[in-house]
Amino acid sequence: MDHRARVYNDVFEMLPSVENPSPLVRINRLCPSPEFTLYAKLEWMNPFGSVKDRAAWAMLCDLESRGELSDGRGLVEPTSGNTGISLAAMASARGHALRAVVPSGIPQEKKVLLKILGAELDVVSDELCPSPGMGDGSINLAKTHAKAQPKRFVMPNQYENELNVRAHLETTGPELWRQTEGQITHLFLSLGTCGTVTGAGRFLREKRPDIKIIAVQPSEGHDVPGLRNVQQLDSCELFDRSLIDEIIEIDYELAYARVLDLCREEGLLAGPSCGLIYEGARRVIENERRGFGVMIFPDSVFKYVSSLVKHIPELAVDGPA
Amino acid sequence: MSEYAHPEVLVDTDWVKKNLGKPGIRLVEIDVDTKGYDAGHIPGAVGFNWETELQDQVNRDIISKENFEQLLSGAGISPDDTVVLYGDNNNWFAAYGFWLFKMYGHQDVRLMDGGRIKWLNEDDKELTIDKPAPTPSTYKVTSTDMDLRAHIPLVMEASKSSSFNLVDVRSPDEYTGKIIAPPGMNETAQRGGHIPSAKSIPWSLAVKEDATFKSADALAKLYFEQKGVDKNKDSIAYCRIGERSSHTWFVMKYLLGMPNVKNYDGSWTEYGNLVGAPIEKQA
Ligand SMILES: Cc1ncc(COP(=O)(O)O)c(C=O)c1O
Repeated sequence: MDHRARVYNDVFEMLPSVENPSPLVRINRLCPSPEFTLYAKLEWMNPFGSVKDRAAWAMLCDLESRGELSDGRGLVEPTSGNTGISLAAMASARGHALRAVVPSGIPQEKKVLLKILGAELDVVSDELCPSPGMGDGSINLAKTHAKAQPKRFVMPNQYENELNVRAHLETTGPELWRQTEGQITHLFLSLGTCGTVTGAGRFLREKRPDIKIIAVQPSEGHDVPGLRNVQQLDSCELFDRSLIDEIIEIDYELAYARVLDLCREEGLLAGPSCGLIYEGARRVIENERRGFGVMIFPDSVFKYVSSLVKHIPELAVDGPA
Repeated sequence: MSEYAHPEVLVDTDWVKKNLGKPGIRLVEIDVDTKGYDAGHIPGAVGFNWETELQDQVNRDIISKENFEQLLSGAGISPDDTVVLYGDNNNWFAAYGFWLFKMYGHQDVRLMDGGRIKWLNEDDKELTIDKPAPTPSTYKVTSTDMDLRAHIPLVMEASKSSSFNLVDVRSPDEYTGKIIAPPGMNETAQRGGHIPSAKSIPWSLAVKEDATFKSADALAKLYFEQKGVDKNKDSIAYCRIGERSSHTWFVMKYLLGMPNVKNYDGSWTEYGNLVGAPIEKQA
């Protein structure tokens, strides 16, 4: 494989790594201070469209190498969409079945995409970022499938699987360090399973103990899939509070408003969690004025067209179909 | 440490495991979301659907005596069987089923403490998708106890008099009227708020983090000391459609041993739709 020529033997060779990092793109018009260098790391450039390619690939390879997916055994996974989409595409292309258990509130686009990719779907009423524990949501329905039909299903379980952390420790973290040539002073991201922050955060904190790691979370009642509000963070199995310098809570409506800014001012086709993270970064930069920051942009706007129309009604299109 | 008033109506998951498949012991799963049973249940358990099997399909009512007999006959249950109920959402509809079984006079019905989630998360417990094919029985109801149920006239009286404990078990936001029903629930009402003089004691205060009931001492402290329930008065519990209140009804009657506890299954979807009924609402 030759990353310069970008000629690949299969889609998996495109997965991100230190040799083939997801791109960093500088924020120009929307950066509020000229002394602050701000980049976005575009995770939607990964082959299956989101930051979740990393954890999904690590968990899938682990199951394959341990022989857990032989004899026609497939996967069952609770997901707010992105992990399921990555897993579904990977699994289908490698001959495994996937049953995805999703919260009913995720956008229609994600549910249909999962089916396009060949996944079987269970839709349950649940939080948009399912919590491990005693509740009856997607995690425990997926566990039920795995326990009742162990020959048919194995559950990677991104919410509790250490490989979700390790994927970011081995790829996202080193990529960021190398791409910024060690200049990074601020990391802005949002927390769902907390795999990204615990993995990349641990790597960067080790390299540079004074780095500021800033989590930007949506206000209660939000509808940004994959993210937790501040009160829900304690139910994250993979959460390591000691890595985080600051947690900023943002009115979730702003996530959608900032999507338009990123699309229209920077030409970045960013999804709502990017809008949220950008708003958090903007506030920090207005205060601190100098530094070198990177925002992790988890996915693009394509899967959220219906959510944007809901939040910004003037986007609705009428006229003949 | 004191015991529950009626410890015999509660079994733990280990008891169920030990007694799996024993003659005379029957398991029934009743869920809010019936996907759970289909995805996997305790070996030998039948599944009842609360919407289509425990409710009359024409009138708003519990199933008739005849339908109850039919349902239990179809499941191969006999009047002298020990029936253990369990389900999702901390046994909400399992408790509703318990209440129904008691009204139709079934002697030995019990709840599995912690419900399906506790079983699911214990490594030594199995689940299956195989549905049992029970030999039908001929179940006959020989006595009923409709005193376990409260209708609107009594609820109106309880609201006005001080001789009842009227307990609203819904979430604080439903009690104050900030919301009419929890997000995503279909059955709702024209108005928000609560029945005048009702105390707010959310059902969830009665359970621990692992979904099992709190100890007898903790429950007594909560209801009698902190919430001011008078243990000698008659009581009525209500929620939105009568399932969460069955859970609290079970706590007050069987775990705390209060003398006369009724479940108002009409609950907020009846009261909050009733023309002219007085409502208390926080501004
Ligand atoms: C859109 C989006 N943003 C952010 C995240 C959070 O990443 P993590 O789960 O690694 O904390 C996710 C995770 O699902 C996501 O889907």
